Amino acid sequence: MLPTYKENGINLLNRLAYVWSQPKRGDVVGIRLAGPHIMFMKRIIGLPGEMVAFHEGHVIIDGVVLDEPYVKRPCDWERAPVILGPDEYFFVGDNRSMPQIDHTFGRGQRERIIGKILL
Amino acid sequence: MRKWVIRVILVAAIVGVGVWLWGVFFPSPEHVIRKRLNELTQAVSFSSNEGSLAKAMNAERLTGFFSPDVEITVDVPGHSQQTLHGRDEVLQAGMAARALAGSLNVEFLDVNVTLAPDKMSAVVNLTAKGRAGSEKDLLVQELKLMMKKVKRDWLILQVETVKTLS
Repeated sequence: MLPTYKENGINLLNRLAYVWSQPKRGDVVGIRLAGPHIMFMKRIIGLPGEMVAFHEGHVIIDGVVLDEPYVKRPCDWERAPVILGPDEYFFVGDNRSMPQIDHTFGRGQRERIIGKILL
Repeated sequence: MRKWVIRVILVAAIVGVGVWLWGVFFPSPEHVIRKRLNELTQAVSFSSNEGSLAKAMNAERLTGFFSPDVEITVDVPGHSQQTLHGRDEVLQAGMAARALAGSLNVEFLDVNVTLAPDKMSAVVNLTAKGRAGSEKDLLVQELKLMMKKVKRDWLILQVETVKTLS
């Protein structure tokens, strides 16, 4: 999540953030693996039902380029469009300077979102 | 009155010890599986000062956790899909890991065990955390294991990587 969040930092996660509301685009969230002991920290860029793609490093949502002021380093990522299911979100980190193949990103189920990063 | 209280405490203590002994002598399948997986992490892990004989013995010990027809499929971003079939290939992989990495420390976290209704097989979902040699970065991977009960032992029948994000 560089440069928004530094490596090896300590972050607070609000586990109640999505009890009464749904995750929103731009939210930085904790995504569980098998359980909450290890989480990915990613930003939500795609919401349920949307079509998400990467073209020349830009995120395309339903055919429109997404404005991402938090991305400071340009990239050349390419990814074919995927249509998100009714319970799926698309997650990606802010550090797009690394090779696409080394970056863990993609769609995931709502139930994997543990909470929203506060700080 | 005092005698009555002592009797109740005594009965409660006996029941408590009985429950504990039952757990020790007749552990639940879930408990046995967790213990087995904990032993597996110890067999997978190795230190840099492991001698040649110990290397071979510990790699050999690793195969005992797997069914003879085990299938391990590893599909992680940035690498081509790898599949291991049978104990021999597990042994070779164990030896290769020991030859390539100076040391390896593996832990299984968030172990979720789902038993089949007949309690003869189980699906285990977990997060494997590893650190190889003096690497700064942790290796983290979600795994799905299928295990089956063979006599009194639980053996791993299938291992596959889970794509947390796809």
